[in-house]
Amino acid sequence: MVGVATVASALALWWLATSGLRLLNPLRLPAPHEVWTALRQIMGSGYAGATLWEHALHSLGLVARGFLVAVVTGVPLGLLMGWSRRAEALINPIFLLLRPIPALAWIPLAIVWFGLGDTGKVFVIWLTAFVPSVINSFTGVRNVDTVLIAAARTQGASTAQVLRHVVIPGSMPMIFTGLRLSLQASWTTLVAAELVGAFFGLGRVLNIAGQDIFPGMILVGMAAVAICGAGSTWLLGRLERRVLNWRAAV
Amino acid sequence: MSEIVFKAVTKTFRLPKGGDFLAIDTTDLRIEEKEFVAIVGPSGCGKTTLMRMAAGLEFPSTGTVEVGGKTVRGPGPERAVVFQQFALMPWKTVRENIGFGLMCKGTPKAEADAAIARYVELMGLAGHEDSFPHQLSGGMQQRVAIARAYVMQPAALLMDEPFGALDAQTRIVMQEELVRLARRNPRTVIFITHAVDEAIYLADRVVVMGRKPGRIIETIDIRPLREEGGWEAMPIEEVMDQPAFTHMRSRIWKLLKAREQEKPAA
Repeated sequence: MVGVATVASALALWWLATSGLRLLNPLRLPAPHEVWTALRQIMGSGYAGATLWEHALHSLGLVARGFLVAVVTGVPLGLLMGWSRRAEALINPIFLLLRPIPALAWIPLAIVWFGLGDTGKVFVIWLTAFVPSVINSFTGVRNVDTVLIAAARTQGASTAQVLRHVVIPGSMPMIFTGLRLSLQASWTTLVAAELVGAFFGLGRVLNIAGQDIFPGMILVGMAAVAICGAGSTWLLGRLERRVLNWRAAV
Repeated sequence: MSEIVFKAVTKTFRLPKGGDFLAIDTTDLRIEEKEFVAIVGPSGCGKTTLMRMAAGLEFPSTGTVEVGGKTVRGPGPERAVVFQQFALMPWKTVRENIGFGLMCKGTPKAEADAAIARYVELMGLAGHEDSFPHQLSGGMQQRVAIARAYVMQPAALLMDEPFGALDAQTRIVMQEELVRLARRNPRTVIFITHAVDEAIYLADRVVVMGRKPGRIIETIDIRPLREEGGWEAMPIEEVMDQPAFTHMRSRIWKLLKAREQEKPAA
């Protein structure tokens, strides 16, 4: 209830500041009705080469691909590094070398390598989303209660059975923490990559709207990114609750 | 055969600052087939280390540990362990936790289900088969851990302060249940505890250990007392009021205390 009231007051203030009292220059912050016009335009005839649905679907597709590739590669690598000290010793130096490079710094290189198309963006999203998946899966394995591993071995569990029934389920809460961070990173990187150069996507909408000095459209683009990001986080949260149904307080 | 034999076992730990720490000095101990032996001693006397060596979770620095005539080289389902911290898998239900060892062994499902059902019944867990461990009290969780140990029909049962994390009332109930279970299902048992009462009440023999370095001070046979006093037929609180019981308790306490006050050997 408090939340609804806060949002309602914020909207009222927005309207007052822009249309009601005209405190702000509409080129800096558009009035609600301008955002509405922009929304109708992009939903109907389209903007920056496509309709809002097409832009959003395109961005969602890129995030989904980059994120999934990061999860499929990052989680097993983190689990392996957590389980085997040798794998950790082997892989960690490369990781430490690459980790301080902000993912966004890879964008120019990705453009040189892959051009402005989808591949380069999936590559950069993968790079950003990869790191939290690896680190949290690694930490998850290291935090598994060693008594549980000992208990499983005294019950005759093989190494494969220990991994499958103890180490992986025991790492799952941390793995999901990693996935959440990876997903957030995926959206940040996507927008940045599309701002730098793209043919479609929500970042492209933001970029063109900025060049056109079209504040209403900028806000539509920002809201669309927020809704897509929140929606995918919500889906991941549902999956987490289902997988971690054994936890005390969910 | 499933006797447990410690032969001239020592255990030395390397200290992080360098140098060695003698945790267990030369120890010989033989636990006969289906004998229930409790090991009591202060913390740091190496009693848990002895049990972990029988479990195959640790190895002696010198000497050997043999179970059923075979040197222990690692953990195995014929030696079930009950841990103080219960060590149940939080992501598995009561049924899955009890059945885990059977599943690892590849026991056919119908047979495993029947065995699980038997121990669920025996440990008073009926109705909780599909609960997760966090939904159970500590006492109930330890019942699951004991059921999980017995369901494997192990030759030896190794218990590391299994009731140490339980409140006093639950502890007494569990002690009585363990006696009931142990009489019906005799196994070779090593039971680690620092509670002298518990050791006398449960065990055939009590091994008293001292520390610095860890070693056996004395081994006391409780069976004559139990048979003469007819303890089997009595509830636990009556057993603990018997003069023979209280005398035995003071005797063990004195042993433990005398060693604590001794100056460590130069």
